[in-house]
Amino acid sequence: MSQAHAPRAPEQTTAGRVILAASSCLAAVLVIAGLLYAAGTGQRHQAALAAAGCEPGLSPSGLPCTTAQMLASQYTAIMTPASQQLDADMAAYTASERHHLAAAEAALTAEVTAENTFDASLAGIEFPPAIAPMARALIRADQARAKLIAEQARSSSLARLRSFNHRVQAASAAVQAQMTLILKAIDTPPQAG
Amino acid sequence: MAQSTAGGRVGGRPAGYDGRPARYGQDIGEPGRSPDAATGTQTGGQEPAGGGQPRQRADKSRVDEWMEVEFRFGGSRIKRKAVALVVLGAPALVPLLFMSPALVTLNSTTFSVSVDDTLGTGAELCLFVCLLVTPLVTLTGQRWFVPLRRWYGIMMACCAIGDATAAGITDNFAGGVFGRLAGHTFVLIGFIMVMLVIPLLITGNPWAQKKLGRYWKRLHRLIYLIWALLAAHLVLLEGFGFQRGSNGSGFAGDGDPVFHQRLYQYSACSLFLLVLRLPPAKRWIAARQKEGRTWLVYATVLPLFALFVFGFTFILNEEIFKGMDSFAEHPSAE
Repeated sequence: MSQAHAPRAPEQTTAGRVILAASSCLAAVLVIAGLLYAAGTGQRHQAALAAAGCEPGLSPSGLPCTTAQMLASQYTAIMTPASQQLDADMAAYTASERHHLAAAEAALTAEVTAENTFDASLAGIEFPPAIAPMARALIRADQARAKLIAEQARSSSLARLRSFNHRVQAASAAVQAQMTLILKAIDTPPQAG
Repeated sequence: MAQSTAGGRVGGRPAGYDGRPARYGQDIGEPGRSPDAATGTQTGGQEPAGGGQPRQRADKSRVDEWMEVEFRFGGSRIKRKAVALVVLGAPALVPLLFMSPALVTLNSTTFSVSVDDTLGTGAELCLFVCLLVTPLVTLTGQRWFVPLRRWYGIMMACCAIGDATAAGITDNFAGGVFGRLAGHTFVLIGFIMVMLVIPLLITGNPWAQKKLGRYWKRLHRLIYLIWALLAAHLVLLEGFGFQRGSNGSGFAGDGDPVFHQRLYQYSACSLFLLVLRLPPAKRWIAARQKEGRTWLVYATVLPLFALFVFGFTFILNEEIFKGMDSFAEHPSAE
């Protein structure tokens, strides 16, 4: 065997041995700590649910127990971008409702799309029994508003377009009322659901 | 010795196992170093020498040779390696698949809420798999899976660019596109990472490797800078790893803040990837392999690898959980 193939001198590999030994010991400690921590996951989960006023034992079969934080997080996640989109579409409509029929109609169509997306996302959230009827009412109110706006978008003149404004405002107020109810309900820790 | 004719030998020593850089074209297992490795055309004869570890070398060669064997399928001849690479490479497409329904339906809500978690986490996973290839080559001496390094690097770039593009369009930060891409320090670092990944994506092909010559290797060392910047990105994103109320990824509402902390996940994965790249550690491994004490290498490295798997599992869990929600277009913001 040539010299090049001879094992390296111990001093040449000491640093490597120390690095590997130290990092392996650290890793072993972390893995063991992680496994011990993981063993308590079930208890911590129960405690988190109980702290949020949610008893898993009361959940309807097949449905997860949703904590107030989870619910608020899910609702905010769909609410925030939808509101931003609607604000932008409404601003675009306001800017063109008096002089540019095509642009106003395009803004209204975009508004309808945003509302339908919001409704679909809202329907996907598993609300607890106390809040589910409110969510359904919100979806109904929003769909009624979207239908009205879709009709408005088919207007043949600017005057006809603007004639819908009051009805749309009334429909928006109904949607807003349902949203306020849901937000209030989510603020209170929900029961199993 | 017959094996001394292998192309990977530098100065009579097995290239890459002594911590010294090998010449261009002599892959020592660093990310994207060898054109052959990157294109998956490397043959057994071009592999880095392992002549200093005869017994192990023979074992590893058998695995690589077994992978080179062709079989008949529908009138075609396919290498076993090709099948294995397709199977192992397919998961890299999953993050993009998760976001595809939202892309088709132009669902801005899904993009706004979960593109960071789906494509951002997907990019992180691809980066770790890309970086995992070199340590596995060091440990096993096998090279048949080396093409995965390039593939996962490309997919990492695609996920990162997709994430930045979607965030630039749909995020809620003020200040227009610039504000959405650079309005916060952690977002700015993410943007820099994406900018750095673009030249790597463009030059991640044999033609660019040939044109750039020795500069290609230097350029592709940017992957280490991206790896480091990811740490800074997560440190700032996760409040230095300390959960404060509902601020931080540890707030999933399930009572497990530690496992959800992305910075911890990153650290758990990075320790193995980093230590196995340190020249002294590689020298020690090479020395033990030469002595035929491979079992000692595996025993020593096992806790590091277990920690890597531990961290990786939770990143993967996050990707699947958030990704499935994105796929169903009911994004989760947890």
